[in-house]
Amino acid sequence: MAALETEVLVIGGGSTGAGVVRDAAMRGLKTVLVERKDLADGTTGRYHGLLHSGGRYAVKDPEAARECIVENVILRRIASDCIEDTGGLFVSTPWDDPAFGDVFREGCRATGVPVEEIPVAEALRSEPRLNPEISRAFSVPDAALDPWKLVWGCARSAQEHGAQILLYHRVVGLERDGQRVSGAAIRNDLTGEDLRIHADVVVNAAGAWAGQIAELAGCRVNVLPGKGIMIAMNHRLVNTVVNRCKMPADGDILVPIRTVSVIGTTDVRVADPDDLEVTQSEIDEMLDEGEKLVPGFREARALRAWAGARPLFSPEEVADTREVSRSHALLDHRERDGVEGLVTITGGKTTTFRLMAEVAVDAACAQLGVERACRTHEEPLPDSEDGHFYSLGSRLHAREPVPQSEELICECELITRHRLEEAMERRHTANLDDLRRTLRLGMGPCQGGFCSYRAAGILHAVERLDHRAASAALLSFLQERWKGVHPILYGDQMRQARLDDWIFQGLLRVQHLPT
Amino acid sequence: MTHDTVVIGAGLAGLAAALRLAEEGRRVLVVAKGVGSTHLAPATIDVLGFDGEAVESPAQALPQFAAAHPGHPYERLSVELIAASIEWFKSRLPLSGFRGGLEENVVLPTAVGAAKPSALVPETMVGGDLRAGGPFLFVGLGLKDFYPAYLAGNLAGSGVQARAIELAPPLGRETDVGSVGFARRFEQPAFREAIVRELAGRLEPEERVGFPAVLGIRQAAEVWRELETRLERPVFEVATLPPSVSGIRLFEEMTAALRRAGGRIVIGQTVVGAETADGRVEAVVAEAAARTATFRARSFVLASGGFAAGGVELNSYGKIREAIFDLALAGAATNGRPRFLPTYLEEQPLDRVGVPVDDRLRPTDAEGRPRYENLHAAGATLAGAVPWREASGNGLSLATGYAAAGAILEGDS
Repeated sequence: MAALETEVLVIGGGSTGAGVVRDAAMRGLKTVLVERKDLADGTTGRYHGLLHSGGRYAVKDPEAARECIVENVILRRIASDCIEDTGGLFVSTPWDDPAFGDVFREGCRATGVPVEEIPVAEALRSEPRLNPEISRAFSVPDAALDPWKLVWGCARSAQEHGAQILLYHRVVGLERDGQRVSGAAIRNDLTGEDLRIHADVVVNAAGAWAGQIAELAGCRVNVLPGKGIMIAMNHRLVNTVVNRCKMPADGDILVPIRTVSVIGTTDVRVADPDDLEVTQSEIDEMLDEGEKLVPGFREARALRAWAGARPLFSPEEVADTREVSRSHALLDHRERDGVEGLVTITGGKTTTFRLMAEVAVDAACAQLGVERACRTHEEPLPDSEDGHFYSLGSRLHAREPVPQSEELICECELITRHRLEEAMERRHTANLDDLRRTLRLGMGPCQGGFCSYRAAGILHAVERLDHRAASAALLSFLQERWKGVHPILYGDQMRQARLDDWIFQGLLRVQHLPT
Repeated sequence: MTHDTVVIGAGLAGLAAALRLAEEGRRVLVVAKGVGSTHLAPATIDVLGFDGEAVESPAQALPQFAAAHPGHPYERLSVELIAASIEWFKSRLPLSGFRGGLEENVVLPTAVGAAKPSALVPETMVGGDLRAGGPFLFVGLGLKDFYPAYLAGNLAGSGVQARAIELAPPLGRETDVGSVGFARRFEQPAFREAIVRELAGRLEPEERVGFPAVLGIRQAAEVWRELETRLERPVFEVATLPPSVSGIRLFEEMTAALRRAGGRIVIGQTVVGAETADGRVEAVVAEAAARTATFRARSFVLASGGFAAGGVELNSYGKIREAIFDLALAGAATNGRPRFLPTYLEEQPLDRVGVPVDDRLRPTDAEGRPRYENLHAAGATLAGAVPWREASGNGLSLATGYAAAGAILEGDS
């Protein structure tokens, strides 16, 4: 069996794991990250994309709010290319008690979240689709954060510092050497090969799956997966993050991110973070709540719905996951369970991923008996060195001067053939969904209606795939697209889906491909 | 001005109904919000390609198919009528040179290399009949909507001798050239010359040569013949992603025939409602840029399409609705719950939703009685079919459009 030696083994390729691998590598530690699927395939890639100002937690969870605003400021500095500086609003709709605004403002002040009440007319001028009946509006430094760019930025930076990142590598066991975790048994799910990784310290950054990983070492970590559903609406219904000014509840945030706006979310405790169903009643709840923020919401075109599993850590059993702090949890299993060589970092949120990584690597260093300072709050991620925020028009801007210079393979997301081929060569993947996460392939209005066939054909050529592998890539991408589309099919998106049926089942007849 | 018949929709069903009526001397007006599904789908007339398994002979399969699918539009049509619609269609569109018939399906490769049976195909496609056995050569032009190596790989995987080559035809400074752009270039002799020159010496004996379906729009027959002559072998087109050049040719030829027969066609007006009285439709109301227009007629054909075209709508509360007359709908498999199943390639509960009709193709109410005496429906608006799965789309549209016209003509006499 193949074997690897490392100082730090990081389990989990979400924002936390990507933050940990970067931080550890930057401190000069030999580091390997294993992720069972693709980077940001789990919770990180399934969230609404909000860079919290902390306003959302200012009243209910002040500790989380403080962490958020500190990290918000740091991320604007080190991850500017991942951030669109939309700003945020908290508004009192007719369903919200206007008096909560005072509590909210006090909460923000107490936790250091910059807040300013602005005239309703001003809020409506900047966001004309907002409910004109709002009675109060507060401005906070919320922003939109692209989770894929963020995680890949951390991964690239970690690789530049010598770290190794192994995707589609699943942990099947943690190896104990007496009271010490000495490494992990890994299965490469693409090749079926087994790999043993010996590590001086293992950082469990598996998020909602952290309990499952800790259990492999015989430690009990009570992570409650809290299901949150989200709907991406076609178009930017708003260009500012809009929150309801009330205690956090379901369907009270609308985040403009890239070409869409995302409404979220719910919070339901689930047993298995891999089994997240989006129900019709949850969809209806989001749409009805959306109507309160933006009248006509139900008439607007919805693109896609999905669910993510928040990793909520609770020292005790609780019934309502919304009562669990959004703050993170660092568990040093040497102190906690007498098991050396294992640190768990869970809870928290993408906004605070860097801080979580920092405390986790601090703990790992303590176990290794080394003292190295964290530098992740100082050194920008690749592509963020110039400090410029991402802007929505950037892809168009790059293309507009010479509109006929290159073929567009995905017209919705302005992905050129060159860009697609380059990503295929870089990632060496036979999975179109990996390319979606890298490039946003198929994430626009047609949800892969036109680009899926093209991408399969190009993949067949670039990766020299067998025709069966190309067909498998096409079929699994179509299924993956359908998974998110079918819960919200109505209106114009139903028209689109039927056109896609005609293309794939009628014209191409993918269901009759030889297998 | 009052018309004899107003047809709503300019897809194949609407155009077929209008052409047949106009030929019989009726004053016909086609009102459509845009060009129809012709521009999205290939011009093959698929009557019945799959009934579980691939269908070899629609004529033989249809009676049993109709019996096994109550509520399917084919239940309302005799095989003789479908055959008549096909013969009529072939004779009316000499430019497209349709080949085939109801007795046996031609089997064409799709752009991914799956096999699709069609009853009637344009002459430019017939050389791709997989029953001929190959060998086939598929030619790529750098068109982003056609991947010949992948196509040939899948065909080879099914035991058909096939290979692919990529050409780099001269496109000038433009690089993002789509199907229509290639079709225009093929109408230029210099471009064809470059293609033929690049292919010279690279063809194996007996190889049939397949191009994406972009061999010209108005001069397609000449382009195709010239390529066959110069390459000295069968040349054929393979349909690919929309926009469909072969469908555009079909639309052009049908609308030209309609105008010659005295019919009128108005594109860009969306029919949104109707004036009705005493169980009859008196007029339909259409919205154009900044005004409404009312079109009166003695009879009406609803050929506004299904969900894709907007003839039938689904709202966010899960309510389905016929968009113009609010007609009763049929064909929802699970009474609307769940609306969709999680597996993409399964038949979905709403797939067969549409307007139920009587034997004269008149939309019926919940009791099975015609809703309006003088309203007929045709094409994808009808309940009961899953044409994209059955490979029955254009066949259904043609036969029901033809039959709706027939019902109107009979009613007049």
